[in-house]
Amino acid sequence: MMQSKVPGSTGAVSMLALLSLGLGGCVTSRVEDARENVTGLNEGESVVIMAKSYHQGNETEADYISCVENALGRGSKGLRVIPRQQFVDSLFPWFEPRTAPAETKGLTKLMERPGVSEVVKGLGVRYIIWLDGDTETVAQGGSLSCAAGPGGGGCFGFAWWQKDADYEASVWDLDGYETAGTVSADVSGTSFLPALVVPIPLIARTQSAACKGLAQQLRAFIVQ
Amino acid sequence: MIANKRATLSASLLMLVLTGCSSTVTMEGPTIPQPHVEKLPVDVALRIPEQFNNFVHEENVLGKESWTIDLGGANASFFKQLFGFLFENVTIIGPDDDARDYTFDALIEPSIEGFEFSVPNQSKTEAFAVWIRYRLRIFDSEGNNASNWTVSAYGKSMKEGMGGADSLQRAAVLAMRDAAALIIMQMDKATQISALADGPAASPIVQPATMAAGGDSDDMEIDAEDDMGIFAIGGIDDDAE
Repeated sequence: MMQSKVPGSTGAVSMLALLSLGLGGCVTSRVEDARENVTGLNEGESVVIMAKSYHQGNETEADYISCVENALGRGSKGLRVIPRQQFVDSLFPWFEPRTAPAETKGLTKLMERPGVSEVVKGLGVRYIIWLDGDTETVAQGGSLSCAAGPGGGGCFGFAWWQKDADYEASVWDLDGYETAGTVSADVSGTSFLPALVVPIPLIARTQSAACKGLAQQLRAFIVQ
Repeated sequence: MIANKRATLSASLLMLVLTGCSSTVTMEGPTIPQPHVEKLPVDVALRIPEQFNNFVHEENVLGKESWTIDLGGANASFFKQLFGFLFENVTIIGPDDDARDYTFDALIEPSIEGFEFSVPNQSKTEAFAVWIRYRLRIFDSEGNNASNWTVSAYGKSMKEGMGGADSLQRAAVLAMRDAAALIIMQMDKATQISALADGPAASPIVQPATMAAGGDSDDMEIDAEDDMGIFAIGGIDDDAE
């Protein structure tokens, strides 16, 4: 039994794969913060990332929250991040979408409830970071068609789409039950999909850029 | 032989086409964590009606997708756990049991009044949403209807992966958890159930015979003025205790 290799076609596929990996769509981003109070993180203190309630129309994606959690905790300068579900379960039912405090002024009363401040202290949570926002496709166009027959197939055309990722993080300091400030990320990216027999996706990683940018700024904001 | 194979293949393809646009969601005993509240000092009997124990919702969405959501015994086990966390003593009564054979301060009979959901095709978003409307009927130790409380719960989950059965299931679990949060925090305020520990309700709403009917509660007339629905968002100011 012999296996035949076609170096030419393998090389072409590899090149296309590398090309689409190397080239991406255009991404523009703006990340900024607005500080209201002094921050800082002591030894053993941690943060928790929460999504604002969907009862209030928030649509922040679960994978975006996980991305920010991971990005904040990664590396030698990573913060100690308590997993959101662990925090919510530990304090049931006080941080459910319906019951979570909407403003810092509700924190004092919440901490007086049986067992709440003990759990928060036990987890070492100093900051609650509330995420709001989402990624949306705001424009798209072009035309792409694919066909296949007995002799093979292929795609021809050009398609593009633009995504906007707008996220805002409100940082609550549980030390003084006050708002420390906000960090926002506004990222816009356009992806392209030209196809001449083989489609070459040039994807703008809009949400990923918003995650990385927001997490970096948040870390700097908290640690100072 | 070949004809048989063709017939089998055709039947398989037909089944694939027929089942291609239908999804079934089966709930498997969602649980809630131990809540941070003090238990209410009330001896409660929990009667689970047949309908509550075998609830199945079927719906054809936009004439294309067929969805079957089988809550099965999930609701029953969920409420057993919830009331176990909320009250000092809970006795489970079967749908055919006579409540007069048991001793309790209050008897709670939950039912599902409404179940709705939306899928991304309908809402034009990436989210699955579930709304569940529960009714809690509360009787005192003499079988008088002491309170009726409607609990409206909502859960939302973003679409992940193909299909959507998992996302819809997650939305349903979140809706049940939402109901649990509301019941834990507002039960006593909305129904004054803890007052029943001191004795039967002073002014009965329906005749005692209603409770002795053994779970045939659908025939019961409910005074709309006694229905209470509370839907609060963004923190609860009132004490749960």
